[in-house]
Amino acid sequence: MDIIESKTWIEWVITIAKFAFCFVPVLYILLLIPMERRGAGFMQDRQGPNRSYIKIPYFGKIRLFGYVQNMCDGTKLFFKEMFAPAGVNKVLYYVAPAIPFAIVFLSPCVIPWFGPMVFDWGDKAVRIPGSIIDSDVGVLLLMGFSSLSAFGAILAGWASKSKYTFLGALRTSSMTISYEVCLGLSLMGILLLAGSFNLTDIVSWQENHVWGIVAQPVAFFCFLIASIAETGRAPFDVAEGEPELVAGYHTEYGAMQFGLFYMGEYSHICINSFLIATLFLGGYAVPFVTTETMQAHMGGSLAILCGILAFLALAFLHMLHRYSKKLAATQQTHRFEVLQEYKLYKICGWAAVVVFVVLGACAWFLFNPANMAINGFAIGSFATALGTALIHLLVLVVKSVMFCWVWIWVRWTLPRFRYDHVMHLGWKIILNIALINLVVTAVIAKLVGGN
Amino acid sequence: MARVIKQRPMNWIERLYIFECLRGLFTTLKHAARGLFRYETLPTISYPEGQPEIRHTYRAKHRLMLRPDGTPRCVACGMCAAACPAHCIFIEATQSDDPRIEKRVMRFDIDHLTCVFCGLCAEACPVDALRMDTKKIVFEHRTREEFVAHMSDLMDWDPKDYPEDAQSQMAPGGTKNKQALETWGMEVK
Repeated sequence: MDIIESKTWIEWVITIAKFAFCFVPVLYILLLIPMERRGAGFMQDRQGPNRSYIKIPYFGKIRLFGYVQNMCDGTKLFFKEMFAPAGVNKVLYYVAPAIPFAIVFLSPCVIPWFGPMVFDWGDKAVRIPGSIIDSDVGVLLLMGFSSLSAFGAILAGWASKSKYTFLGALRTSSMTISYEVCLGLSLMGILLLAGSFNLTDIVSWQENHVWGIVAQPVAFFCFLIASIAETGRAPFDVAEGEPELVAGYHTEYGAMQFGLFYMGEYSHICINSFLIATLFLGGYAVPFVTTETMQAHMGGSLAILCGILAFLALAFLHMLHRYSKKLAATQQTHRFEVLQEYKLYKICGWAAVVVFVVLGACAWFLFNPANMAINGFAIGSFATALGTALIHLLVLVVKSVMFCWVWIWVRWTLPRFRYDHVMHLGWKIILNIALINLVVTAVIAKLVGGN
Repeated sequence: MARVIKQRPMNWIERLYIFECLRGLFTTLKHAARGLFRYETLPTISYPEGQPEIRHTYRAKHRLMLRPDGTPRCVACGMCAAACPAHCIFIEATQSDDPRIEKRVMRFDIDHLTCVFCGLCAEACPVDALRMDTKKIVFEHRTREEFVAHMSDLMDWDPKDYPEDAQSQMAPGGTKNKQALETWGMEVK
């Protein structure tokens, strides 16, 4: 009972609610797959998958800009038969795909999703950290989790009893080992500057000084390249290089087992982009505004946030309007049903604009923490902390989505490296650059900071 | 003879690879932005809702040209069947009712499953009776028999679809049909 009574109920509620952040990488899969497919299409001057639709009675077809295609593919994978080839190690074969996917739920635990919430609850001062586990070894935990996911690939490759999967697994393991080193070493510079392994401390250091990308630009590039290599995506996808290894370690997998590998890969991208955003792009910190300033003008900040969202909704409406006009001018036989679908989106868009504008106006004029109370219980500081957390979270999401886009962008631009080139790049170039960067950073930090 | 192409050696900026990577990334970013903001300029045609633009010189499904009175121009000489490399044209001739004309065609079948659309039949025709400018490029039927176009099918075309072509306008329903019919009738006497 003591442990329960050591905290107020609001602390418990928020602490438990924070576990929902474990599902963020899974939600990112839903975002990343359409982004990858349509993005790949656009980069190759194609349209990308856009033909699947849901038929709604008395309305028409809903295509959601091609999003329905991903639902169809997911459903197909889900309902396919799970099979195992003859001669496989049954236990490991079935366990292997679950490993990278299970790691996905662990990794988000140490990422600070928002700055520590500090507020007064009654007469008690409450401080709730932004990460699920506010650990002093946060970065190390995260690196440990992300290298654990290589076990999935290695076990899958070994258990499948096929030379292609085996070679793919070998390549994955060697790549993971080589690039983990680069990853860790390029990380050290920023850790040295911040003087802590705690991700929240690193972010607050960046908030008070400069962003990691400014302080450590070389380390940023090394880290970006190493983490792209670590996720095993192009141009470093030698582990599943189609011309050589069929599909690498998941050659023998089908149905949802393959789907788990696929989702694990995307969640890994998500985690790594959150990590990069946290370490080098100021994490949840809003650019050019300190948290104190934001909290002092909470109403205005929320109003600006609503304004940005309303602007985005207007931009969406503009694109819709523009494309509807172009489509109406063509002779395509399905233009009227597409236009009708767009009409629905336009209604939604205008509703969103109205809602955001009203919310923004309310925040601007009515948000006053001094006289916010429920039944005489002051919640002004809690409301401010909650608003700060919301803005922090959205800022972090925007930054990480930007990096997710970098992953997709790089994949569809650069050709695959040859295997020995990958090793050469890892051990002889990036490792050395990271080491030199670390030494230089240490010397400068000693000379300037003097600690 | 083998030709040796001397490749320019890469300079040191290119050998660094990173700047060339950034150039490549910029190129793909331009294309992605085009897809996102200028979607309708993408070269893809959303077939079958949108149809590709076909020129009248494109070798599509055949048609039989008509005289002003509506009979086919074909004189059943068999040149097209002789020219056909795929042997997909089947012609049977019969006696013509018109005293000016020796033969008329009784059966004119083109098997579009065998046809290679080379256009030699249209080239070979001495009376310009066979053309391939219908712009119909899609053949979809249930049975093999339906892919064989018979004479009635080949003669079933509308002069309004060929507004530029004077020869087509002389067929029944065309703008020059009346005039052409007078000329045609005059020659009988």
